[in-house]
Amino acid sequence: MIRHERRSVRFIVGLILVTLFALMCVIPLIYMILVSFADTSTMYIQWDDIHLFDFSNYIYLFQNRDFARPILNSLIVVVISVILVDLVSCTMAYGFEKKPIPGKKPLFNMVLATMMIPTQVVFISLYVMMRKWGLLNTYIALVIPLVGAFGVFMMRQFMQSVPNDFIEAAQIDGCSEIHIYTRIVLPMVKPARITLAVFTFNSAWNALLWPLIAATKDEMNTLTVATSSLTSYFATNYGPEMAAATLSFIVPFVLYCFMQKQFVEGIALGGVKG
Amino acid sequence: MSPLLRRQAGYGVAYITPGMLILLVFCIAPIFMTLYYSFTEYNLAQPPDWLSLENYEKVFTNSQLRKAVVNTVIYVIITVPIQTLLAMFVANFLAEYLNNRYGRFLRSIIFIPTLASYVAAATVWKVILASRGGLLNEVLGIFGIGPINWLGEPTLALICVSLVAVWKSVGYFTIIFYAGIMNISVDVREAALVDGATPRQRFWKITVPQLKPIIYLNVTLGIIWSFQAFDIVYKLTGGGPHNGTTTIAYIIYTYAFQDFRIGYASAVAILLLLVILVVHLIQQHFFEGDD
Repeated sequence: MIRHERRSVRFIVGLILVTLFALMCVIPLIYMILVSFADTSTMYIQWDDIHLFDFSNYIYLFQNRDFARPILNSLIVVVISVILVDLVSCTMAYGFEKKPIPGKKPLFNMVLATMMIPTQVVFISLYVMMRKWGLLNTYIALVIPLVGAFGVFMMRQFMQSVPNDFIEAAQIDGCSEIHIYTRIVLPMVKPARITLAVFTFNSAWNALLWPLIAATKDEMNTLTVATSSLTSYFATNYGPEMAAATLSFIVPFVLYCFMQKQFVEGIALGGVKG
Repeated sequence: MSPLLRRQAGYGVAYITPGMLILLVFCIAPIFMTLYYSFTEYNLAQPPDWLSLENYEKVFTNSQLRKAVVNTVIYVIITVPIQTLLAMFVANFLAEYLNNRYGRFLRSIIFIPTLASYVAAATVWKVILASRGGLLNEVLGIFGIGPINWLGEPTLALICVSLVAVWKSVGYFTIIFYAGIMNISVDVREAALVDGATPRQRFWKITVPQLKPIIYLNVTLGIIWSFQAFDIVYKLTGGGPHNGTTTIAYIIYTYAFQDFRIGYASAVAILLLLVILVVHLIQQHFFEGDD
């Protein structure tokens, strides 16, 4: 539709600027990966020091800094939170969207309002609570703040597209409530559930503040916390730090390569509908 | 209420109760607990000691906190407009002029920094911005500029922290804008084209007004997130130099979890909540007044 502008100067300048912008987005990450393969014991990083497939920085992390444990912790937190968030968000969204609950509007608004609250306000008292209950340094503590209003809000948007006629027809056919939910409703919102899972995965994997607070013992550190605590030990040696950052980046990146559609559509839908 | 309806309501309550309980106990109750602690002195060892408004009075005479408030406001003022405008221009170009394979390729690349954690992003940028041997100074050195001590001077460090945050989040907002522009009906855009509107007129007179709800969403998210900036500061500068990059969220963290002054930290957190609320209301008013 805009063909006559294709070769205009304006278009070419725009093309160059946007291409440069995209390059700016990835160059730091490429640099991160390159330096993770470099011998960085000197302060100045030389290009000659970079030997791809020289994994000594990574080996150092696993042998000297026990990085297997934080990676395992992050994976456990991710798996539990993806399942829990899916479960809670779907059931709540279905109840709020399709059932005649008395007073559901103010209840739902209260749930939505929690999205405005800064996490710090919640985390201070959540810490006091977890401490009192002896739940610090447990996976439950690490997972719990990931359950939030966002998933409920998002799933409810998608539940709107499940026709009420379907549910009523199934009810008339004598389908039990649990069957309607698991065999009709859940399969219809499956794409949204996958998107929500991808989102939860990313926020659980990348979270810093709460794991920093709730895991006071080193063996409960997640990968982000372990990565951030490398600093003090390597004032000038960047290699292991960059290797740790690469490890923490590579997991969501691989997921993105396979599930780009879910990432992008989830954000887009949240934006357009919200 | 008919028996059938009553049964459906019962199912509904069953569906939402477990989730509501989790939210009540682990999200809503802590908000009110923090509000209570904000009126007390509490160091975890002894039970909270009622202080009435003393914490709030102290807040206004705390010069470190005043610095943090100023820093946070500057951080928000840098990040929110830049990331919103940049994302809008990039999304507009990709959607309007580069709706082909290359455009889609660029779009997927621009999103990549969003995947990295703030910790990973800050780790890399710390090395790039290092005054000696950092990539940026090396590159500038070729042109005879520098070396500049990016993170060594308070104001410059704050600008750097803000721009790294923009780098990390702009892809997210680009995707939202892109979807929004694609959602504007093709008829509207083609009509403008037929009427001979210039690209600039089309952008400001057609695209931007139609995108208003999405601009509103992105600014809202941007403000809420930027006011809570913690991760980047924690990893990139540790609040320094000379508190130059200390944000409100960072100060709450140090008060609560390093000094264990739970009561005082709670008061600061409640103030942060109020600030976000007030800014949000102003912004809402601003967007509505525009019509």
